Amino acid sequence: MSFLHPLLLLGLPLIALPIIIHLINQRRYQTIQWGAMMFLLAANRMSRGYSRLRQWLIMAMRMLAIAGLIFAVSRPLASGWLGLTAGGRPDTTIVLLDRSPSMQQSGAGVTQSKLDAARRQLAQTLSMLDPGRLVLIENTTRAPIELESPDGLTQSASTESVSASSDLPAMLGAAHDYIQANQSGRTEIWICSDLRENDWNSDSGRWQTLRETFSEFPQGVRFYLLAYPQTPESNLTLRVTDVRRQATDEGADLLVSLRLAREGGAQTTQTVPIQFEIDGARSQLSVELSGAEFTLKEHRIPIDKTRQRGWGRVSIPADANLADNQYYFVFDQPAPRKTIVIADEPQSAQPLRLAAAVSTDPKTPATADAVDVEQLASVEWDQVALVLWQAPLPEGDAAQTIQTFVDRGGRVVFFPPRNPTPAELYGVHWESWVNSPEEVPVDNWRGDQDLLAQTQSGAALAVGKLEIRSYCKLAGELTSLATLRGGAPLLARAPSNQGGVYFCATTPAASDSSLANNGVVLYVLIQRAITEGASVLGTTRQLVAGEAAKDDTTTWHGLAAPDGALSTEYAFQQGAYEEGERLLAVNRSAAEDQAPVLVDQRVADLFRGLDFSRVDDTAGGASSLVQEIWRIFLIAMIAALILEAVLCLSRPVRATGGTA
Amino acid sequence: MFPDHKPRSFLDATALARLASVPFFARQPMLGNVSGRHASPHRGSSVEFAEYRKYVPGDDLRRLDWRAYGRTDRFYVKEFEADTNLRLCVVLDTSGSMNFGSGGVTKIEYGRRLAASLGYLALEQGDAVGLACVAKGIVRNIPPRRNPAHLSTIFDVLEETRPSGETQLAEVLHEIAETVAQRALVVIISDLFVEPNILESSLQHLRFRRHDVAAFHLLDPAEVTFNFRRPMRFVDLEGGPAIFAEPNEIADRYFKALDEYLTRLREVMLASAVDYHRVSIDESFEQVLMRFLIGRTKASGVR
Repeated sequence: MSFLHPLLLLGLPLIALPIIIHLINQRRYQTIQWGAMMFLLAANRMSRGYSRLRQWLIMAMRMLAIAGLIFAVSRPLASGWLGLTAGGRPDTTIVLLDRSPSMQQSGAGVTQSKLDAARRQLAQTLSMLDPGRLVLIENTTRAPIELESPDGLTQSASTESVSASSDLPAMLGAAHDYIQANQSGRTEIWICSDLRENDWNSDSGRWQTLRETFSEFPQGVRFYLLAYPQTPESNLTLRVTDVRRQATDEGADLLVSLRLAREGGAQTTQTVPIQFEIDGARSQLSVELSGAEFTLKEHRIPIDKTRQRGWGRVSIPADANLADNQYYFVFDQPAPRKTIVIADEPQSAQPLRLAAAVSTDPKTPATADAVDVEQLASVEWDQVALVLWQAPLPEGDAAQTIQTFVDRGGRVVFFPPRNPTPAELYGVHWESWVNSPEEVPVDNWRGDQDLLAQTQSGAALAVGKLEIRSYCKLAGELTSLATLRGGAPLLARAPSNQGGVYFCATTPAASDSSLANNGVVLYVLIQRAITEGASVLGTTRQLVAGEAAKDDTTTWHGLAAPDGALSTEYAFQQGAYEEGERLLAVNRSAAEDQAPVLVDQRVADLFRGLDFSRVDDTAGGASSLVQEIWRIFLIAMIAALILEAVLCLSRPVRATGGTA
Repeated sequence: MFPDHKPRSFLDATALARLASVPFFARQPMLGNVSGRHASPHRGSSVEFAEYRKYVPGDDLRRLDWRAYGRTDRFYVKEFEADTNLRLCVVLDTSGSMNFGSGGVTKIEYGRRLAASLGYLALEQGDAVGLACVAKGIVRNIPPRRNPAHLSTIFDVLEETRPSGETQLAEVLHEIAETVAQRALVVIISDLFVEPNILESSLQHLRFRRHDVAAFHLLDPAEVTFNFRRPMRFVDLEGGPAIFAEPNEIADRYFKALDEYLTRLREVMLASAVDYHRVSIDESFEQVLMRFLIGRTKASGVR
């Protein structure tokens, strides 16, 4: 139990008042000359039982009444989780509000979401507790916003739900910076979250730093975690995995691939109506969901032939979480698939150019130009999707050009030169060639993702059938996508910001490998790289909410933005937007779907050594976090007084010695 | 009434004048020396016929009833009741506890009034009056006399006596029962703060000695109501240890003890045929005495 006016508790010694009065009264005795001593002596000899008990009871009731009064005026608060806030009111209260899509989950049987519950509870609690300076740090901009009153938590647009995930360590970092910059005194940090792992990044090394820096504050920082860890009984999440516009003989089709996932234990077969909305035109498709996941591949939706580009939305009916029931996408004509081939050897250059120049879609032209290293500067990089480099690793200006190209989203695949040089790019360099007397088979490869992933029909690529006769060893930190027997990588990805740099340890030359003869793997590999590289060239972009925050969203124009979304927050709100010529679709991150909830012990570990208390609330819970309970004490006081009066009145009937 | 014209604080002339109109009777035959108002166990020469008795030689011939002889031819002696005076022995408790009085009048003062008035009334109708002031023992003892001047001595003793010492009423009453000649009226004026069981034997002793015993039990209203508010230190008037008590706390047990004592005392008094009067000292003594005298009038003539 804590108190709003703990100073008044200093009056608690007043409880001893009845005892003191009793003692003073005893000191103020009167002396009387008395004759009838025999009755007094007899009375003293008698058992005191009830009489003595009654005296003590009366005394206790009086003390109880005073205690009740003192406690009542100290304005006690119910629920002990606030702990000993008796230290007085804080100088600053910082609210870290996680308004990620998972916080939109509503409680069982109620429509109130976790976020709404958290805002209401916080506003109610803080307005009761006198928070001092109130600062809000929410998960999108993480900029401290000073609120005038706790009511701002329920009224401010900065506390509404967004589609961006949270980054709790970064938010705590922002709180830390705020405390440091403002030299605030005793600070309380209230964290409202549903404890999703993707929001908390509990494995991040930043937590260790945060623990250390917060414990260094001399004024003391107290953490309160208002947690909503409940997972829904049943919740469907919808995610569009791919959208393509394909021209047909009659007109055009939109090929939509999507994934429907079910969270929760229910495994019954369920019919889910999926609604597609493309530029305002709606169509519906009902699917049977029997397992935990349903995947729809390339659902064809006919569109107007003249419509080259546009936006769309896929939605399912409302369920436990409203934030993951729709997905926005934008489509456009495919960007030109242009490839630059830089090759020392013609026998390598030819297969590469062929593999790059044949488009997967006959309606989309693909070109592959062979250029020399010296001609790099004259290339129109704005239209290039892929660079195939079979030459010594670039140095100087050439390396700079390639890096710029990769940073803007382009893809590069390096093949080994016949004579490796010590030049290094992305921390990787070629070592020496290994000529094996017999063919080296491919031991394993990543079939689940990246360039060698299985086909959309689920069949594996025939990587195992490749015959590698000689390969060049790689040195540096690489993520291997395919590994030869003996452990040397065949295809590896180098670390870079955009993740678009690949190294292939052999060349398509017939003397080195069967990449060219067994052309499927090389073709798929290169086409996939082109597709990825071309995806950033088009005038449409699929963005993950929050990750495009650096863009200036004021020029964005909402095509299908949620009601009430601020234009400054477009980058954090799912929807379809238009920026000049570009079409943008913003959606929640993939990690937001089915993210696990942190276990209690893990949360406690994250705050180990800090002043931390946690309470679990539920969305739609009617009870307030803290309640004023002075009425109970007042009632107790009145009850004590009444009981005292009754005890005082109930003296035994006096034995009246009537005179004869 | 005041031979030396000295006013006595315990005498109220007008009250005495009113009380004198009611005769003061004994409840049983008394043995006196002279003729008086009270019945005697012996035959005598009053006007009230008692019985005929056969003549036996030696009887005074003058008392032979000749008319009876004329009718029956037998000798009868006609006998009459004898009237005699009584000896009133007032036993006044002068122990320390008698010095208590919450309403201005102490018990001893009230006892003086009762004793003096009774003495006056008795002497007025020719009875002999004696006084015994008792505490731990008999402090002062004046044997009964009929002489009107004797009253002055009694008043003097009453005036001089001071309450002090313990109450040893039972032993004192035994002594008085033996020393006072048989068939006297013994009036005990006391607060009777003695265990009733101890008192019982001495009262039975008095009864055995054919004394007519009356008792005025003096109680102060404060002792009955016990309505103190503040904690009190009760100092024993008879020199015992003081008791510190919280009246609120002890009151119920005090009343219980008082109640038990009064009930038992009344039983003892009834069993010992004592004319028992419980007197609250805020009552008018005149009314108390009037009640006492009238009660005796009704009971008169008992032999």
